[in-house]
Amino acid sequence: MDMTASNKKKEKELKKIQQREEAIKRIKAQEKLPFWTLMKYKFLTLYFAKKLLWIIFRLVLLIGISYVILFPYVSKISGSFMSPQDFVDTSVKLISKYPTLDTYKAIINDNQYYKALFNTTVLSGLCAVSQMLTCAIIGYGFSKFKFRFKGILFVLVILTMIIPHDTLQLSLFMKFRFFDIWGIVMGVQKLFGASATGIGNLLNSYWPLAILSLTGLAFKNGLFIYIMRQYFNGVPDELEEAAYVDGAGVLKTFVRIILPMSVPMLVTVFMFSFSWQWSDTFYTNLFFTDTKTFLLLPNIVSIPSSLDTQFAAKMIPYEEAIRNTCGLLILAPIVLIYLFAQRTLIEGVERSGITG
Amino acid sequence: MDKIAKKKIKAIEEKPITPKKQSKVRKVRSLQKQKSRMGWFFIAPFLIGFFLIYLPMIYESLKFSFNEIKILTGGGFELNFVGWENYNYALFQDAEFILILGRSILDLALNIPAIVIFSLFMAVLLNQKMKGRAIFRAIFFIPVIVSTGIIESIDLQNSLAKVQESIADMSSGGMDTTNMGNEIISKMDVQVFFSGMKVGQELVTYVQDLVNNVYSIINKSGVQMLIFLAGLQSISPAIYESCHIDGASSWETFWKITFPMISPMILVNTVYTVIDSFTSKSNEVMTYIEKIYDSPANGDVHATAMSWIYFLVVILLLAIIGGILSAYVFYQKRDA
Repeated sequence: MDMTASNKKKEKELKKIQQREEAIKRIKAQEKLPFWTLMKYKFLTLYFAKKLLWIIFRLVLLIGISYVILFPYVSKISGSFMSPQDFVDTSVKLISKYPTLDTYKAIINDNQYYKALFNTTVLSGLCAVSQMLTCAIIGYGFSKFKFRFKGILFVLVILTMIIPHDTLQLSLFMKFRFFDIWGIVMGVQKLFGASATGIGNLLNSYWPLAILSLTGLAFKNGLFIYIMRQYFNGVPDELEEAAYVDGAGVLKTFVRIILPMSVPMLVTVFMFSFSWQWSDTFYTNLFFTDTKTFLLLPNIVSIPSSLDTQFAAKMIPYEEAIRNTCGLLILAPIVLIYLFAQRTLIEGVERSGITG
Repeated sequence: MDKIAKKKIKAIEEKPITPKKQSKVRKVRSLQKQKSRMGWFFIAPFLIGFFLIYLPMIYESLKFSFNEIKILTGGGFELNFVGWENYNYALFQDAEFILILGRSILDLALNIPAIVIFSLFMAVLLNQKMKGRAIFRAIFFIPVIVSTGIIESIDLQNSLAKVQESIADMSSGGMDTTNMGNEIISKMDVQVFFSGMKVGQELVTYVQDLVNNVYSIINKSGVQMLIFLAGLQSISPAIYESCHIDGASSWETFWKITFPMISPMILVNTVYTVIDSFTSKSNEVMTYIEKIYDSPANGDVHATAMSWIYFLVVILLLAIIGGILSAYVFYQKRDA
């Protein structure tokens, strides 16, 4: 009884809504009704008030949080144009009274910005491309093929994601300082009486990061493999079957069909690995101990010698502003890339179909 | 059933089939085998890396934590087995480690719900159709791209300089007038705001911490937001439509449809948040371990032992969280 009663109620409500909508339609069609009645039907309803309230609330919230995200950068940018006099003047808050480009010039010239930029671009580019391809290949392997121990092996992938590389810091260092595979080379060297040094010292070269990237062990590569696998799970098998029927092998299908269609996902992985490698300090500090021969962007954060006068040395806010400017200069290129790639990136994430 | 009977059944099952059929079966199998072989080929990079590099590294790291280490001048290094000495040092002799560990786990427990709830809420907002959605999305994902190691380390250097300055200015009583740091509201503002209300100092600091935490929470929830957004996109719009027709309000729809459908992602995000926040540079334990690592007196193996203790604690935490959450996770049956 209750059910039918409530159903009837709902039907009544539905009818009411329909009637009102019809009325609005009629009003719109005739157009000769007085303006105020039209407005009344349109805006003086609870539904509209609720919607308006929600829109305003949402807008305020979003703008507020955007402010929280952007403000530190705004303050850093404004600080980067300030000259020492601005920091003495208490009336200066965000807009400089004596704007200058000296900070930028000094950092670019004294801290060898372009050299570091070049090195970092090459390093990040190599890492990102190899990580992108490796993770796509591994993810495809885990997604589309059936073989023994697949479940256990995927748990191992998750494991590499969970164990932070900070835990393995010392052994990472040792691994590439005295690089060797299972002590085989060292054993052979011992056998022949040579000093046991293994394959050699791979620090201060691209090798450590290249090896880690090519084997899918670098920073957060477990996450990338996971994302790629989820994406390939969503690709219908029929597509590949059609390719097989047309005579394409597994490899050809992967290169010619699967890779081109997963470009948004690849861009996402590329952006993540590129930007994370770009501003990384852990691996660069660990693997590039000699900053003179191999200058990277994180190493340029210091007070330039031309600005380090008696006057500036005592001013903490000014030093802060200089360091922040270093940070801005480091981040500027990836922000530029992000502005161009963000649409593809967000599209890729939306399409990934990451579930469970 | 005894073994003989089993063997008999097996023998019957394996009886030779007619030659024609057999060849057919073999052909199918070989294709499958070929495919599985290609599967091994595709995951080969990971296998090579894992078994040749990663596993030895984990083994070595565990071994280091039970040893003393000496780097020889001619190249190479020497290990002396010391048993549980390093762990003993980390747990009982080092005064700060346990304290910092406890405090950071408490922080983690407070931060995780905040980050997950916030990122879910923001993902729901950003998933709605509205004007300027693309711009807001672009802004919200800036932290994912930008805030990693470098900004944090610069902020750390800055705050270090500030502390030095304040120590130097302690006697002269200087005040920083140009506070350009990351603090959204300074303590002074809050104190002025609360001065009329006659509330205690503790509340003031709490409010300030909360508001300044908003910054770190927003910055830490970028990837989680992306994962939630992807999850929201995967919910079929037909379900929402049928809900709308049945007269459910959007509040009901959220709790009855969106929330259960997104619950696997909540698990994923919680695990991700735990991992992310305990590996981040701003983590107190991690900075402490880093400090120990750089200290000259056998610091590296102490640091290794400490990080293994820390890792085990976090794994325990993950297991507890995973256990509790997975009881409530709802999995929509996909094409099995």
